[in-house]
Amino acid sequence: MSLPTRPLTLTINGKTHGPMDVPEGMMMIDVLHEMLDLTGSRLGCGQGICHACVVIWDRDDQTSEEVPTCITGAGFFDGKRIRTIEGIAQTNDRGEIVALSPVQQAFTDRFSFQCGYCTPAFVNAATVLIERLKRAPVPRAQVEATVAAALESQICRCTGYVRYYEAVRDVILAAPDLTRDDA
Amino acid sequence: MTFRRLVLSVAAAAVVGVIAIATLVAINLWRGTTGGPVQAVRAPADVVARGKYLAEAADCAACHSAPGGAPFAGGLPMQSGFGTIYATNITPDPDNGIGRWSADDFWRALHNGVRRDGQQLYPAMPYTSYRGMTRADADAIYAYVMQLRPMNVPNRETELNFPFNIRLGMLGWNLLFLRDSLPAVSAGSSPPWQRGRYLVNVLGHCGECHTPRGILGQMELSRPFAGFALGRLAAPDITPAGLVSRGWTAAGLRTFLGRGLARQGSAFGDMHPVIMLSTRNLTDDDLNAMATYLLGDNPPAPTPLPPIDPAAAGPMANAAGRSSYMALCAGCHGLDGNGVPNTVVAMRDNSTLRLADPRNLIVAILDGIGSENFPHHDSMQRMPGFSDKLGDGEAAALANYLRVTWGGQKGDVTPAAMHALR
Repeated sequence: MSLPTRPLTLTINGKTHGPMDVPEGMMMIDVLHEMLDLTGSRLGCGQGICHACVVIWDRDDQTSEEVPTCITGAGFFDGKRIRTIEGIAQTNDRGEIVALSPVQQAFTDRFSFQCGYCTPAFVNAATVLIERLKRAPVPRAQVEATVAAALESQICRCTGYVRYYEAVRDVILAAPDLTRDDA
Repeated sequence: MTFRRLVLSVAAAAVVGVIAIATLVAINLWRGTTGGPVQAVRAPADVVARGKYLAEAADCAACHSAPGGAPFAGGLPMQSGFGTIYATNITPDPDNGIGRWSADDFWRALHNGVRRDGQQLYPAMPYTSYRGMTRADADAIYAYVMQLRPMNVPNRETELNFPFNIRLGMLGWNLLFLRDSLPAVSAGSSPPWQRGRYLVNVLGHCGECHTPRGILGQMELSRPFAGFALGRLAAPDITPAGLVSRGWTAAGLRTFLGRGLARQGSAFGDMHPVIMLSTRNLTDDDLNAMATYLLGDNPPAPTPLPPIDPAAAGPMANAAGRSSYMALCAGCHGLDGNGVPNTVVAMRDNSTLRLADPRNLIVAILDGIGSENFPHHDSMQRMPGFSDKLGDGEAAALANYLRVTWGGQKGDVTPAAMHALR
């Protein structure tokens, strides 16, 4: 017996993968883990609720959004561009990390996480938020509410919310182009 | 008959009609009062308990409570084609509630659609159904609500467009459309059937959503329970023929009304609060009576899901729909459509997929369904909406894949139909 397969080609962290044969109905997280050795995305609930598995989908209209990979089939990503936690930090020509992203740096500086299982997805969700604010800045007074709303779907079972939220808030407030001064 | 006599007759009829209406108005307004003593109602505990049960069966709380507001303190906005009506405070607060209402006042509201001050109610308050209530039951509900904690929550004014903002107009509406009893949806005569008719037609006022409405907002009593879209989601056809065509049985209906979950699917949209506030509280006998009435004393056999036409559902027949299902749905609803027990509903045997009208399936695909709790600590997780991930053509193909594979329906949903509900 063999599983029916479908061809899959996609761009992950700027690099094209495929075409490769993927069993029909296989979820994206399994493709990342088992076929591409990209193990940084975490499998949590397996039901699209905890958001530990989210990756960033770069849409053709230059916007980005989170997509849970545990309940999204690999076929959804055919022809699409995504970023995983492995592609967030700055790397040099040899693929070595030279600098964390501002979000990653802030999480590290603030000890935002304990066990770290939810952290890759928190990084991705915060990155999506910051990219959104670049396109549509919010008033400074609304930053805390904006962070809380954007990260609400991310579940952390150790402690993290306050230090995660404060770290993202501070990254946003320190950047010149993510907020407005009006009410 | 000469022309002159005809004119005279019509004129005479008109005068009689005007006098009749004027008399009714005069009686209502003469009876109507706004001040008066605060009522002190002391009913025996068993009457209050019966009133509580009946108030639950009549689902008063669903409308007379605002989201997050105190129970029965009013405030739920009800949209209609004529404007917005706000449910009122029916706690015994003397000024904002019904604290000065007598049992007679309460009865007139339920039975005639007239407020204590003599003004007409709008049929957003389902006196059109409650008219069939017994006086004893109305009095028991009155005894129950009058011992609730009074809530000092002001009522909001209705926001209706002219001419519907003239409450007197409802007198004419009532003459045309108010009936002492509503037609039976099924054939029967057994005691459970009779009880079920009272629970479904009168207390449960199921027809207020499930019966199609005419241009003046009246229930079209020639087609009781044939289904209607009052809002974004449609209340489906719950005639015996409609129910069995989607695989419903008496046992399935009892389970659904008591628990909100059955093999045929879960309660969502406006039906979810009906389960949670009303039918979950009913006795097994009453749930059985409702199921008996909905299907009749001799219920037709449920229609099994027809075998799939291979031409319509082969792997390549709707490759786009199947591919979207695998990409976006199968992670939760399963490759085989069986769902996840206690977490995600099955697509196989799902009543919404088996509806001939694709509207609710389309809305579920586009909007998703929020997470929901059910009786007995059951719950269903949130379903995301896919309006931003699927174009009209892709979403229509997905709907058709679902309808053909697990609904026994035609794959006739067009991209235009999908677009119309965005």
